[in-house]
This record gives sequence, structure tokens and C-alpha cells, in this order.
Amino acid sequence: MVAAAQHPQIKLMTYAEVENVAGYVGNFEVTIRKKARSVDASKCTGCGTCWEKCPTKVDSEFDLGLGKRKAIYLPFPQAVPAVPVIDREHCRQFTRGKCGVCQKVCPAGAIDYNQQDEIVTEKFGAIVVATGYELFKWEEVYGEYGYGKYPDVITGMHFERMNSASGPTGGKIIRPSDGKEPKTVVFVKCVGSRDEAKGKSYCSRACCMYTAKHAHQVLEKIPGSKAFVFYMDVRTPGKAYDEFYERTVHEGAIYVRGRVSKIFPEGEKLIVRGEDTLLGRQVEVAADLVVLATAMVPSRGWEKVARMVNLATDKDGFFQEAHPKLRPVETFTAGVYLAGACQGPKDIPDTVAQASAAAAKVCNLFSRDEMTTDPMTAQVDESLCSGCAMCQPICPYKAIEMKTITERVAGKQVSRQVAAVNSGLCQGCGACTVACRASALNLKGFTNEQILAEVDAVCL
Amino acid sequence: MKRIGVFICHCGTNIASAVDVKKVAAVAATWAGVVFATDYQYMCSDPGQELIRKAIKEHRLNRVVVASCTPRLHEPTFRKTVESVGLNPYLFEMANIREQCAWVHAKDKEGATAKAIDLVRMAVAKAERNFALSAAKIPVTKRALIIGAGIAGMQAALDIADSGYEVVLLDREPTIGGNMVKLDKTFPTLDCSA
Repeated sequence: MVAAAQHPQIKLMTYAEVENVAGYVGNFEVTIRKKARSVDASKCTGCGTCWEKCPTKVDSEFDLGLGKRKAIYLPFPQAVPAVPVIDREHCRQFTRGKCGVCQKVCPAGAIDYNQQDEIVTEKFGAIVVATGYELFKWEEVYGEYGYGKYPDVITGMHFERMNSASGPTGGKIIRPSDGKEPKTVVFVKCVGSRDEAKGKSYCSRACCMYTAKHAHQVLEKIPGSKAFVFYMDVRTPGKAYDEFYERTVHEGAIYVRGRVSKIFPEGEKLIVRGEDTLLGRQVEVAADLVVLATAMVPSRGWEKVARMVNLATDKDGFFQEAHPKLRPVETFTAGVYLAGACQGPKDIPDTVAQASAAAAKVCNLFSRDEMTTDPMTAQVDESLCSGCAMCQPICPYKAIEMKTITERVAGKQVSRQVAAVNSGLCQGCGACTVACRASALNLKGFTNEQILAEVDAVCL
Repeated sequence: MKRIGVFICHCGTNIASAVDVKKVAAVAATWAGVVFATDYQYMCSDPGQELIRKAIKEHRLNRVVVASCTPRLHEPTFRKTVESVGLNPYLFEMANIREQCAWVHAKDKEGATAKAIDLVRMAVAKAERNFALSAAKIPVTKRALIIGAGIAGMQAALDIADSGYEVVLLDREPTIGGNMVKLDKTFPTLDCSA
């Protein structure tokens, strides 16, 4: 993270969103909204006085509600850049029109309540889409696990935050309900994954391994603790992965093959009822804490990204690669590449490998000053074009625009509209050529004349 | 004056077992404009491509038709072949007599052969009207945008930047790091993620 932040060739644009993508490979024009931080990044020193003095406390999104943050905040201590942002939905200055504490205490005079969103348009030659994943909203469908109403039924990501030394519990594993250390922790795998009835049909790939890690952390951090893992299958195909899982089992994690059918409270405990399919009988575990390994789903807003850069998606919203085996990081839009979990669930090693592959494709594109385009693009015969513009909405690549030409007709200068094809955007699909009533559009290499000659050859 | 060469591929037995390739070549040789027609086991192989190059020179061919597999597979191969002896690659034409003929009519040799002849006749008719095309050059802005600054975005940004190109690493959140920085230790080595 620090390496990316300090690299002289990398410019960070955080708290920013892409609004529009125009242009084509080698020549994209991207409109970006830089959201108002309400803090002048050029003045802020990241000293932290503002968030210490801020009187408003809200749940921290970064800690998934396990901890609190202020209305002016850094998501976490090592955040990059170390410039806070004001959450205008909760800040008293914005909700009630008075407070101004952070502005008063800021020694650098960096707080700017009037800052506006800034819209910029920049040119790029290539785009890497790395929009990642979020967790499946299990609370909405898994009634048998309590619809999220039991505070001690948490997700693997909550568990990660608790284990983090800089997290809300300072690295201690606790029960969110009463802060006590759990002695018996139950892990439930495939919550939303491999469950077509309630969730997704796919395997999220990383959960078997992080659950093994979580079970290991319980046994390591809590003396005398027990870790139970309910699983459908243990899938550990990766270098040193199965060894890691075996190690967790040898440390004492108890793996139970079967689905959990119900979780319900009984006194201070949570009773986890499930089936052990290897023994063929029902089991019940009285747990202090239950951790669900929830499915990875595409990050919210994937529809907007797909629309802007013209990406195909699969049934679950993951972006489609150009070929599942041979072109795994390219897309159907030239110059746009995929990296990480936005293409499908994957773990860190696979994500890093794919990101480097996408980078190699970008470097390959940038290694030349000019790129050659396929010459089989549409061509307009301006003398035939009537300027009806029928072709314009038909083009799926937005490659056709109307232009005005001036010509001499019977001794007079006359202006009229004709179609013009941008050969950089045109992918040679031919849709416009069939739509053109005047036969003014032809696909080079597949002209009407050439195609008719083929038809004649077989029919006459 | 169009001087067309026609090359019929056996694709081992893929095509030759269903199509009488010798007959297709013999029929093609009789058409107007076709000055050379032959068949060969694997047109895409080095000796196969050499056969095409030699024929172009010997018979002063200015149009080439290869009847073999799908153009998705070997159109780029043969375009390069003809280009290597000075012919514009877009003067080359391909007829698919494998996927669209031999494989779907494997049990009807007579019918498959007749259809292959038709397909080659179409390709020859088109080749006659093919004209030289040249690829356009467009400039490349050597600057990359990365949408999302999690582990994937950061890794891609570093690799591109280390090659000397400018990168903008964008994220909707106030910090970079994505989901990855929320993680404590990472498997299987249990090293920290930040």
C-alpha cells in the first residue's frame, strides 16, 4: 500500500468515482467526480486533532460496525492518503448548521465546509477494472441463522477486524454482545456460496482457506478453546494450502461435514444444530461465537461500471473476460482489462497474478507509440449518403457521428449532413451496412459487392 | 488480370475423410481466373505454408484462397504467409470446409465434396473482388486508469508504473487498500496484509 502511495509514477485519486468513459483504445476520455472531502488535501498534515475533537460518533464502516469513528475521520490509522474526510450525513455542521469544532482546532486551516465536488476529464490509453467484491448479504435470506439479529453471529470479515491489532478490539477475539472471550467458536462455511436456493451457485474459493486460518487463530489466541468447522467439502487446491488445512486439523480444529440447519440462542450460548453426514446423525454445539463464511459477490455499482466501459457480465454480475482460458484478463472492449475479484471470486495469490497479467497487457499496448487497427472497418461513400442518420443509433460501439460537408452543386455551395465513421471505435461488425438504405456504408473487406459475388457464385 | 491460387487442406483426415480433396482441387483448377490449384496434408504446417509461398512466386499469383478450417484459427497464419512474399494480406481469402462442411457431413462424402466445391467457388468469387487494405495507425496515450485500489488495483498500478508509465489509481473510498487492508493475517503464510 505504501509502495503504491509513494511511487512517483502513480497518482492517487481517492474518494473519486468514474462518471463517464468516452473514446476508444489508446484514447479514452474519462470523466471523474472527485467527491468533496471538505478538507483541503494540500494543507492537511494528517495530525489528527480534528478527529480527536469531533463530538459526533458513528459506527465505523471499515470495522463493519464493531467500532466507532468520528464524523471527520480516517477509515483506519494507516489510511493512504492520511487526509480525513467529513461524512456530511452525520457532521453537525452539515446536519444542524452549527458546530465548526474541527475548523477551529485545525492548525493548518485545512477544513473547508464549502468544498464542492470537482469534475475532471482526463485522457488515458488503457483502463484496468479492479472493482473487487463485497460480501453476500446473508442477513436478508438466512432466517435459520437469525437474519442478523443475534450479535454473536458474525461474518469472517468481522472476525478479521477483531483479529487486527489496529482493529476495534485491539486484536482480541471477543463476543460482540458482552465483550467476553469466546471459548467455543463455530465456523459455518458456504453461507451463500454453493447454495442455489438462497444464494449463489458458485464456490467463493477463498473461504475454505480463511476459515482454516480463523480456526487456527482461535486455537492460538484463546487457551483451552474449541473450534468447530461445519463444511460441505474442504477445497484447498493451491500451493501449501492443503498443508495449512492439515495443520489446523492437527492443532485441534474439529471439522464436521454437514450443513447447519439452525442457530438459536439458549441462555448466553448459541446452539448450532446441524448434521454430521459422515456419522449420519444430528449434532448440536453450544457456541459462544458463530462465524459465517459468506459468499463473495461483485462490489456494489458493478452495473454502472459495466455500462460505462461496455463490459459483459455473467449471471451473477462478475465481469466477463474475452476468453475463459486464453484471454483471461482482456475484455470485449479493446484497451479495457480485468484484475481481481470483479472477474470472479478469487484469493490473494490469484488476484495478484491476474493483476500482473493485466499490467503486462497494458505495458504491451504502451510499448508502441502508435497502434495498428484492423482495416476491416466501415466506410462511408459520401456521394451516396443521404444523411438519414439511421446508422448512428444502430452502431453498438458509438463509432458513427454525423458531420457537415460542403460541396458545389450546380454552381452553388451547398452544405449537408453525412455519416462519418471513427475507425478507432469501429469494430467491423457490419451492423450499419445492413441498416444503410442508400448502400453508402460498406465494410472494407466485406463490401456489398463482395458478399453478392459470393451469393452469385453459389446460387447461379 | 486476377491470378488466383487455390489450396485445399486435408487437415490430416479431418477434412480428407469426408471430402474428396483431390476432386475439389481438380474442379477449382478449371475455373476462370484460377491459374493454380492443389491439395496438401496440412496447409498450416511449415511445408504447407512454403508450398503457398513457392506457388505465389512460380505462378505469379495475386490472389490466394485456402480451403481448410475456420478462419478464427488460421486466417492470421495465412495472411502472414502471403504477406511474407509481398502480397497484401487482405488479398487472401479463406473457405471453411472443416467445421462447416467435413465435420457436419462426415457420413456423406459425395454431398460434402459438392458442398466443399461450392464453398471454394464462393471464396474464389470473393477473392476476385478483394482489394488491398492497409491498417490505420492511431496514437496511444501512455497513461493508465485503474478503477479500484484494492490488492488487484495496487498490484497492477505498481507493475505498470515500474515499467515507466504514468498511472492514476482511483477509488471511491477515502483511502486505498480495498478489502485487503481489512484482513488481519493472510493464508497460507500468515503474513500481514497492510
